[in-house]
Amino acid sequence: MLKELLSGAMETTQPAASAPAPAPVPASSQTFTPSSAKSADPPHLLQTPSVSSTKSEGMVAEPRDPPSSASLHPPEPSSSAGPSHASSSYVITIPSCSGWFSWDQIHNTERRILPEFFDGKSASKNSEVYKYYRDFIIRRFRVNPTRKITLTDVRRELVGDIGSIRRVFDFLEEWGLINYTPLAKPKVWETKRYVEKWILLVCLNPPRQDGNEGHTYPYFVEFGCKQADIILCARCFVRGDYRPGLSSTDFRRLNITEETKTDWTDKETLHLLEAILHYGEEWKKVAEHVGTRSEIDCIARFIKLPFGEQFLGPEGSINGNPHKEKDEMTTKSIEDNALEQGSPKRMRLTPLADASNPIMAQVSFLSAVVGSNVAQAAAQAAVSALPKVEIASGFTVNDEKLHSAADGAKEEDSPAVDQQAYSEILSVAAAEAQAKLETEQKDVERYISDIVQVQMKEIQDKIIHFEELEYLLEKERLQLRHMKDLLFEDQLTYLQHNTRPISKGAEGQNTKSNNHVP
Amino acid sequence: MRFFTPGAAKASIKFRMPTAENLVPIRLDIDVDGNRFKDAFTWNPSDPDSEVTNFAKRTVKDLKLPSTFVAHISQSIQNQLSEFHSFEGQEMQIKEKIVPIKIDLRVNNTVIRDQFLWDISNLESDPEEFARTFCKDMDIGDPEVGPAIAVSIREQLYEIVTQSVSSARETRIGKKGRRASDTLTNSKAGITMDLGKLFGSKGSVVRKRKEWYLYEPIVDILSNEEVGALDAREELNARLKRKLDEKDESFQTRYSHG
Repeated sequence: MLKELLSGAMETTQPAASAPAPAPVPASSQTFTPSSAKSADPPHLLQTPSVSSTKSEGMVAEPRDPPSSASLHPPEPSSSAGPSHASSSYVITIPSCSGWFSWDQIHNTERRILPEFFDGKSASKNSEVYKYYRDFIIRRFRVNPTRKITLTDVRRELVGDIGSIRRVFDFLEEWGLINYTPLAKPKVWETKRYVEKWILLVCLNPPRQDGNEGHTYPYFVEFGCKQADIILCARCFVRGDYRPGLSSTDFRRLNITEETKTDWTDKETLHLLEAILHYGEEWKKVAEHVGTRSEIDCIARFIKLPFGEQFLGPEGSINGNPHKEKDEMTTKSIEDNALEQGSPKRMRLTPLADASNPIMAQVSFLSAVVGSNVAQAAAQAAVSALPKVEIASGFTVNDEKLHSAADGAKEEDSPAVDQQAYSEILSVAAAEAQAKLETEQKDVERYISDIVQVQMKEIQDKIIHFEELEYLLEKERLQLRHMKDLLFEDQLTYLQHNTRPISKGAEGQNTKSNNHVP
Repeated sequence: MRFFTPGAAKASIKFRMPTAENLVPIRLDIDVDGNRFKDAFTWNPSDPDSEVTNFAKRTVKDLKLPSTFVAHISQSIQNQLSEFHSFEGQEMQIKEKIVPIKIDLRVNNTVIRDQFLWDISNLESDPEEFARTFCKDMDIGDPEVGPAIAVSIREQLYEIVTQSVSSARETRIGKKGRRASDTLTNSKAGITMDLGKLFGSKGSVVRKRKEWYLYEPIVDILSNEEVGALDAREELNARLKRKLDEKDESFQTRYSHG
């Protein structure tokens, strides 16, 4: 479910201008304006590496093969898979994960999911037949995209066995190439605005507990009853799930205020990032860690984050224990300062200081104190300084920096601490990447050498074979010569026999002449 | 590649549809509480049984039929499939290699009448391909015609092969069986083509002109009134037939005990 939210949010919360410009297409022509979400910021969470999970529901963007040259559209970076106008029936939208589709070609995805047409096992099931089914079904749907076509409509008009038709139909439906109207989807995803509004409204408060049944709900409308002092979620109210003594009139509608589209403060973002690194995809824990935001907010925020430039990875948590000890020194010194500073800041700090990670507390405080600009600058400095820092010596450098940070002034603390923390994370990541790269290279080399060996063996075998042939030929040639000699002998004797009875006197001559016979 | 000399017209092989794809034609004609559902399609017998129920549910849902149809549809399909499976594993002898196939259908507004020769022993034949080409060549607008033609061809082929199975069974029964099977196949399978006569020394492969009209496909488009009239007549016939069947049954039950 969260994956769907994730993907849905991803598709609709592209910051740039909304939907793709719908080219009004006359209904008879077959072109369409698909939209591909160029996920410039690929949160690794979305791109699940398993290519084999072909049956994944929803619109998880699978790793796509490079778009074929026959594709009909230039990928628009700002477009999303959201609907353009709900009422228009000329625009046909397909989800981003099906952007590979093209009329002229059969994509690998299709070959993979419907192998029966491509493995050549049956003479009458081949790619033309598949194309015929597929094109027919899609065309039929596009004649009237507002109406869902059913398998029965289609199979009555397609020549072929029901099983295959059904499989093609199901495949197309699942991938949104037919029967995909965003109208059909739950209302939440209808328009971008609505989605944003929904997410933001939800963001405002942590999940609230329903007074009646105790379930949590993120809705932005609730109903309060003065007498019984109960707050109900909208669903319960509508359903009438409250205790018998109350009636619907007793409830007053409380709207959660909508004005504040609160931006995420840097504190919260830092929390978020650190939590994500720590917990991975367990959004519940992440939300707890962030504290003031619900799971969905965290997800939405995370998606929106532009990776790399402004905000680097979270700091601190993977440093491990030795650094924590050293950090405590700095923490103490800074907390002392904090106390001095006065109550307002202290009030703000309290929730953070209680966070599980003292480093986190320190860093977030620092960034809050120092302001987002400075924190940004510090981060950028860290990024630029990182390549100069060697990976192996990264940690030792950090140690030194920590010490220097502890000694130095407060203003210098934050950039240095941030810097070294950031650079550490990056260095570790870089090291891992390097290692992986090396293993890959080694693998490739190994494979190449294997191939070369096999080919050499082939050649050797051929050589042996030819040698044998030569030998055989040689033998044959010798045999042939031998036979020639025998023949010559026979000829000689024959001639001798012939010439003897004719004239004994002429024998000498004959023998002479015989001797001349080669 | 198997080569059959013209003399050895008998070839004994395992039962299967003599087409490239071993698909079974299924015909549904279900009447429940006055709701009549007729359908015909091709089914792959190697599909699992769960497909049958899924298909039935889906069809009922798509066509918004009352849900009682699900059971009827599944059962009907299962019956026909099990009949097909019962033939499987048995030997069949394909005697006549070339059989005439007749198409005489009415699909919505289109009437198709055609006759052609089909080679039974060609196990790579493809009725679906034929139907597709036919519709394309004859420029048939209604897309429902194609499947109907394919199903019709398959049904006729199915009938022919099932008869060759039963004939094979009867030859095993007794010596006289062979002769009996001859007469059976000759009489039941309709007119069989005598290949010798056609392709013998006197005959030529080209069809005689006077026979052309027999083999020409006829495609007619009917108007809606004609369609309505034909439908009504068919309904009447079906109802009469049903009544007769019921009478027959009651007759049998009454007099079988006696």
